[in-house]
Amino acid sequence: MDSKRIKIISVVLALMLLVAFVPGCAAKTDETPADSGTETPEVTIKAAMVTDVGGLGDKSFNDGAYSGLQRAESELGVEIKVLESKEITDYESNIDQLANAGYSPIFAVGFLMTDTVAKMAVDFPDTQFGGVDEWFETVPANVVGLNFKEEEGSYLAGVVAGLATKDSFDSKLNKDNVIGFVGGMDIPLIQKFEAGFIAGAKSVNPDVKVISLYAGNFTDQAKGKELGYSLIEQKADVIYAAAGQVGLGTVEACKDKGALFIGVDVDQYETVANSGDVMLTSMIKRVDNAVFETIKAVVDGTFPGGTIQVFGLAEEGVGLAPFHDFETKIPQAIKDAVEKARTDITAGTITVPTAP
Amino acid sequence: MNTSKAKSSEGLDWIAITQKIGTPVASVILAILIGSFIMWVSGYNPVAAFSALYQGSFGSPKAFGDTLLRSTPLILAGLGLAYGFKANLFNIGAEGQLFMGGLAAAALGLALAGQPWYLAIPLLLIAAMLAGAAWAFIPAILKARIGAHEVITTMMFTYIARYVVSWLVVGPLKDPGQIPQTRLLPVESQLPRIQSLFSDATLQAMPFLKFGRAHMGILVALIAAVVLWLVLKYTTLGYENRAVGFNPFAAETGGISVQWTTVKSLCISGALAGLAGAVEVMGVHHRLFDQFSSGFGFTGIAVALLAKNHPLAVIPAALLFGAMSAGAGTMQLVADVPQKIILIVQALVIFFVAAEGIITYFLKQRQKEVPSHVG
Repeated sequence: MDSKRIKIISVVLALMLLVAFVPGCAAKTDETPADSGTETPEVTIKAAMVTDVGGLGDKSFNDGAYSGLQRAESELGVEIKVLESKEITDYESNIDQLANAGYSPIFAVGFLMTDTVAKMAVDFPDTQFGGVDEWFETVPANVVGLNFKEEEGSYLAGVVAGLATKDSFDSKLNKDNVIGFVGGMDIPLIQKFEAGFIAGAKSVNPDVKVISLYAGNFTDQAKGKELGYSLIEQKADVIYAAAGQVGLGTVEACKDKGALFIGVDVDQYETVANSGDVMLTSMIKRVDNAVFETIKAVVDGTFPGGTIQVFGLAEEGVGLAPFHDFETKIPQAIKDAVEKARTDITAGTITVPTAP
Repeated sequence: MNTSKAKSSEGLDWIAITQKIGTPVASVILAILIGSFIMWVSGYNPVAAFSALYQGSFGSPKAFGDTLLRSTPLILAGLGLAYGFKANLFNIGAEGQLFMGGLAAAALGLALAGQPWYLAIPLLLIAAMLAGAAWAFIPAILKARIGAHEVITTMMFTYIARYVVSWLVVGPLKDPGQIPQTRLLPVESQLPRIQSLFSDATLQAMPFLKFGRAHMGILVALIAAVVLWLVLKYTTLGYENRAVGFNPFAAETGGISVQWTTVKSLCISGALAGLAGAVEVMGVHHRLFDQFSSGFGFTGIAVALLAKNHPLAVIPAALLFGAMSAGAGTMQLVADVPQKIILIVQALVIFFVAAEGIITYFLKQRQKEVPSHVG
């Protein structure tokens, strides 16, 4: 069977793997903590996290949780550790190893680890767990679910988009009063983003047309680009993407065909290179705050085990990133409307829907 | 396949065997050396890293169990790919067949709730094989009838399979909760963990049996390897498969239908990939969701390459990849080495196995010029 063809294909594959992994590693090395310097023999709190398969460097919630850990290391003096997962199978073994090594609290980042956390909470009753984006039917006593009111942050994004599409502060804005939403998977978690976005836009611009498209996953950037093109063809001039890496493709589409983009999870102006001319703002999920607050609670002895903590605008768990390059272009009226919406939501005068 | 041919001339046998085993082993050693060098350059301690890797993969029964757990789908996917490679068919879409196998197992498992395990488990495994084979069947027919290249078609079918599963777990098969996944399979449809087969007293007396998460899927994989080896060695089916891969024109002249053999080969390849998906669903996750496979169909290509397509050699090759995956966590925990480094070592293994192929290819070319030598 030793055919030339297979050899060539395999060499190409191998080279592809090599090329793909080497820069990934190089980027990773400087992010790893400069070895655990604090060597206090006292009972230090050892906090750890397990990333989902996105790993560190996802410029999203894994990195967010990690910066929460880092903040806890410098401000609270806890020892920290990160285990990255490459496969779904890694979740359980990574949590298991951390728990065996005495780490507590252990943060599991991402809803795919819900089952695993519930299971490991039984195996390690003395270890405290934090499940980011995880929702439990009955929360075990040593687990806290860390969730976010994404709809509230998205509402603010919707206010910006709804007013921007009527305005003309940038040449990419048209007169068609259409905005777009790109979602990852069509699941309740992502529908919260969509619902908040639509509600926010309609609150300031009742006639606006919002077109929502879903990619079906969180990874396919080509699909994200395609959906972006499709929205722009349908006259959308501001696009909000809550779709993980899919959104990176949508940014490309916006740059190509001229539309404004609203990022998600982190301030994507900082994380997506050369996106300044389309990146209007980002809806940020302060996973770092949630992780930091939870570690702080453990240090203070007030770990809220057995509960689901929901971080909204009032708790600074979600918010809007700065406008950056658009800071001076954006009319003050838009900024005022965002502030008004923020105070109304925090005060409870507006309740944001969670399903479209 | 060269070994079986070389059997006739005793002198060559040893050389052939050492060459067969020696080169993959050398590839692995080279990969480890270069991987160590990369770690050293990046400021990590390679000795600590590899001893942690060993600890996390073979250091305790539980760690070994984790290695077995991760090797199981790789053995099955690797076997499927090796069988296709033997017939010169590059079934790069094993991942898609694996998804369909997992889907069939999950869907049937949920439907068969209440049936005893001795009925449910075999039915699920058979269904998964049929689903995998069916998913390979269309590319197979296209290849056999109109010569559509299987690399393209099976790959495209992988996308379809992934999107079908993705749609089903968000839609019709979705668990009522927040998460896009199916309900848990009934216990009767789950492959039990190895350690659950022993009583607590036995485990107390023989702690080396505590294989952690390793499940009975490994038995399925080992049986499949032996069966496939026997099929390739002793049956007409296997002979035709090898003959077509070796020289389709000669095979055709010898009365073998190349088209029919192509179809059979790809379908068997798909059936094994489907089985890999089923053991993952039935043994590890106990439910289906759209990311249940971490590219086992693709890693299977590397496994088959490293095993030089020998069904029995697939087992150690898969164990190697399984061990690297199982030990990566310990390596991060103990030696502070990022998990990406282990991916580099894996890539290097593949690279050297492939590079070795290039060297032998050039050697063969040169040999051909001197005597008229055909393996």
